[in-house]
Amino acid sequence: MELNEFVHQLDELEKQAVSELSLIQDATALEEIRIKYLGAKSGQFKNVQKLMGALAAADRPAGGKRFNEVKNAIQAAFDEAQNRVALGATKSSGPLADPTLPGARLRLGHVHPITQTIEHLKEIMGRLGFSVTEGPEVEDPWHNFVALNIPDDHPARDPLDNFYLKTAEKNAGVTRLLRSQTSTVQIRVMESRQPPVRIISLGRVYRPDEADATHFPMFHQMEGLWVDRGVTMAQLKSVLRLFATSYLGGDVNIRFRPSFFPFTEPSVEVDFWWAGRWIEFGGAGMVDPNVLKAVGYDPDVYTGFAFGLGVERLCMRRHEVTDIRDLYRNDIRFLRQF
Amino acid sequence: MLVSWEWLSQYVYLKNTPDEIANRLSLSGLNHEETKAVDGDVVLDLEVTSNRADCLCHIGIAREIGVLTNQQLCLPEAKIATGGEDITHNWKLNVEAPLACPRYTGRIIRGVKVGPSPAWLVKRLAAIGCKSVNNIVDVTNYVMFELGQPLHAFDLRHVRGNQVVVRMAKEGEQLVAIDHRPYKLDPSMVVIADAQRALALGGIMGGADSEVSTSTVDLLIEAADFAPRVIRSAARALKLHSPSSFRFERRIDARQLDWASRRCCELIVQVAGGTIQNGMLDSASAPLEPPARFLFRCSEIERILGISIPLSEVLRIVPALGCKIVDHGNGTLDVTPPTWRADLTREIDMIEELARIHGYEQIPENVPVPMFASAKRPKDVVLERIRGVMIAAGLDEALTPSVVTQGNDEVLSPWTELPALSTDIALLEGATRLRRSLVPSLLTCRLHNQAQSARDADLFEVAQIYLPSAEGGLPIEQCTLSWVGGSSFSETKGILESILEAVCGVQAWTFGDWASTMLEAGEGAKLQLNGKTFGHIGTFSKAAKKELRLEGNCSFVELSIDGLLPLARIVPTAKWISPYPAVVRDLNLVLDEACRWHQLSEAVRFAGGDLLRDLQYRETYRDAAKDGDGKKRVLFSFSLQSDERTLTSQEADDCVKRIIQACEQGLGGRLIAS
Repeated sequence: MELNEFVHQLDELEKQAVSELSLIQDATALEEIRIKYLGAKSGQFKNVQKLMGALAAADRPAGGKRFNEVKNAIQAAFDEAQNRVALGATKSSGPLADPTLPGARLRLGHVHPITQTIEHLKEIMGRLGFSVTEGPEVEDPWHNFVALNIPDDHPARDPLDNFYLKTAEKNAGVTRLLRSQTSTVQIRVMESRQPPVRIISLGRVYRPDEADATHFPMFHQMEGLWVDRGVTMAQLKSVLRLFATSYLGGDVNIRFRPSFFPFTEPSVEVDFWWAGRWIEFGGAGMVDPNVLKAVGYDPDVYTGFAFGLGVERLCMRRHEVTDIRDLYRNDIRFLRQF
Repeated sequence: MLVSWEWLSQYVYLKNTPDEIANRLSLSGLNHEETKAVDGDVVLDLEVTSNRADCLCHIGIAREIGVLTNQQLCLPEAKIATGGEDITHNWKLNVEAPLACPRYTGRIIRGVKVGPSPAWLVKRLAAIGCKSVNNIVDVTNYVMFELGQPLHAFDLRHVRGNQVVVRMAKEGEQLVAIDHRPYKLDPSMVVIADAQRALALGGIMGGADSEVSTSTVDLLIEAADFAPRVIRSAARALKLHSPSSFRFERRIDARQLDWASRRCCELIVQVAGGTIQNGMLDSASAPLEPPARFLFRCSEIERILGISIPLSEVLRIVPALGCKIVDHGNGTLDVTPPTWRADLTREIDMIEELARIHGYEQIPENVPVPMFASAKRPKDVVLERIRGVMIAAGLDEALTPSVVTQGNDEVLSPWTELPALSTDIALLEGATRLRRSLVPSLLTCRLHNQAQSARDADLFEVAQIYLPSAEGGLPIEQCTLSWVGGSSFSETKGILESILEAVCGVQAWTFGDWASTMLEAGEGAKLQLNGKTFGHIGTFSKAAKKELRLEGNCSFVELSIDGLLPLARIVPTAKWISPYPAVVRDLNLVLDEACRWHQLSEAVRFAGGDLLRDLQYRETYRDAAKDGDGKKRVLFSFSLQSDERTLTSQEADDCVKRIIQACEQGLGGRLIAS
């Protein structure tokens, strides 16, 4: 007998048996089918098995393999039918239940993706020993600029680059603005306590940018600060590597590129080596001695580092959000995805 | 900053490929954006940070490459031959605005032939995207891109009265610049003028009147220093930004004015002929002092960077950067920075220089970091619990801008009567008010969703609101939770009570009346404890919803998180659970409509005393036929239990009797026998 023909007979048998078994609802019919196909004496399956002897010796392994497959398939269909019949027997009469109908779900709310990102960052930094601090969003020029080594004629103080508040006449000369960076919190913390200081500050910051897919005049920053005796740039790199490894979930390398920020010296841009390329992380550096002096720390005794990153960028990358404005439109179709 | 490879090679031997150099520059502070091939030349686009104005020219970049690859520079000397009468004899320079223009110099070249530039000059400028104008203008541009010093050439014919005046512009003074557009000036801007009128907008752009044309024969060559702030504000106000203003805004090297002026004159004579007149107009009476020196302690390298750099490397890098050093031999150096590095004035600046030239890749990323204790703040614990409740209640979290429009601000301000603070410029379209409540922002979101046919946008937000302080200091920033949703007053209040319990456990909260035209009658309340207000709850009235264009029911809550924090039960503690059985009873009372649950529950609790546990409101219904008008039936249940023993049925009955009596006598209630 040709292998082709043998296999064809097996295929036919499988198709027929599985189809008949799927329709079985009661025990009598099930027994009939069992005898018809799986009967030990003259079940159809037995009959086909006998044909195997007629195969050429070289075809037997292939024929045997297919034979076992068909046997298993028919057995599985039989078991399923048996379960179905057993279940039907225990059920009282009445309309037939449909377990595939959707369940009665809870209506759960959703935490905003920015909040989720912030909580994630807090958790990782908390494990690295950084405590969360916060400060006011409406600031004075001392905390937003002067103490951060941003002098009076610095372009960062331009009225068009900041949200200055209108002042009442009785307070003429008092300048207030919405903070343009969370570094203000560093100053407030350092002014109020002595080192060691190991903190992060997270929150809203405000800069007059035209809103588009990648800019929004309000966004969130996370800023880290560690000041103590003997804090070095090598520790900055190591802490950022620990952070990146925790955040991205794999071993990450860190690259520093020189940059410029008034409140750190040296200042660097930080990149992560991840998934085969360098990804920009944010800015960092050693706290400028002028900043340490401004808060009454002796720069010859203490050193420190600071780093900052935009929360939106991390959030958008993680959740594949392509337009920053979606984060603040609060369309429930958007919010309910997270 | 676009840099031509061919041009660079004039000053420094380039032993590496453009890609190698671009990479080295990127990692030492000049971020490489792209490389382009232009007409047989290679052009690098480098990003220059605002502190490195010295790198806004080819020689500056060549200096960086020289330090990185250990090569000497070859710089033009700018030797000029001069002749004729000294110009100071019949020309006057008058700098009336020395703060805006700390130094001004001018040279005169006579008898030039204005025409097209030679091919090499056109090609160099074209490579970096600068169009050729004529040989004179091209040379001034060339020297700017070579040395970083902006220069300007005036047609001397149009400088009247043999006088150059540097002064602030007059109010309303007009100038047509070489872009042939008129600009209206004001006294915050500096101009270069002659005896009669303004000729150029100092540091930004020349004027059309005095521009060099084919008929020009004699030139005045300006090389000056302008105050960054003055140039920046003028360029912004006029929306006129030029390569010149870009460089002055970042501060130029005032000590190389003379070199730049000579270089410019040298090249003009080379490409256009003419004679440089003897002498120079110069507002400075003496040469500027060299930059101040500072002490450098080599031990600081390791203290800051965490790695040491060999002394030999320090002694190579520091002079290569252009610094003059005196080595004291005890690990300290006296360093005098080069004139072009206004950003390099302190020991810490030198450490950055060493780090970037030595290479940041030398700093390890796996040094030990000491452990440090840190814990969640109570506020984080509270907010986490609150979010948990909000999510369970089916509310989605929104984040909305802190600054709102005037109309939005005026919708609701439950916390303060003082007017909102406002910003000078709008955050978004028309939004200048620092919000005093989150509710109007959330209503805006609900309306946005409603417009998208989503009527079930029940949203919450946790954010600061800004309550102006009467004394005028920083405002009080109150961390606030609000939500707005389509649920009824009672459902909304239920969510509020769930939050209060999750955060504070059991407290004797009261809900004081809060009436407003915005609210449905009887569906507004202030959440209070001991007379202090912690929050507000309300359901919008039909009229309010019509005005706000809200569809369906709409209720809100606004709760002060800062207020709740001192009451928060961060760590719950276990209470004794009585092992003795409880007796559960229901009571159904007829009461006056005016009698509130608050009064009834107080009376029941008082009468029930220690035995009363778990008092639960069930329902209210009315049967005017049986009870008469103005009456309601209130059904409630409670359990009685002792911590010490099993109550006898007599004890339980006595207690129920006391409760009924208290309701009858104190509240005029009547028990309905069940």
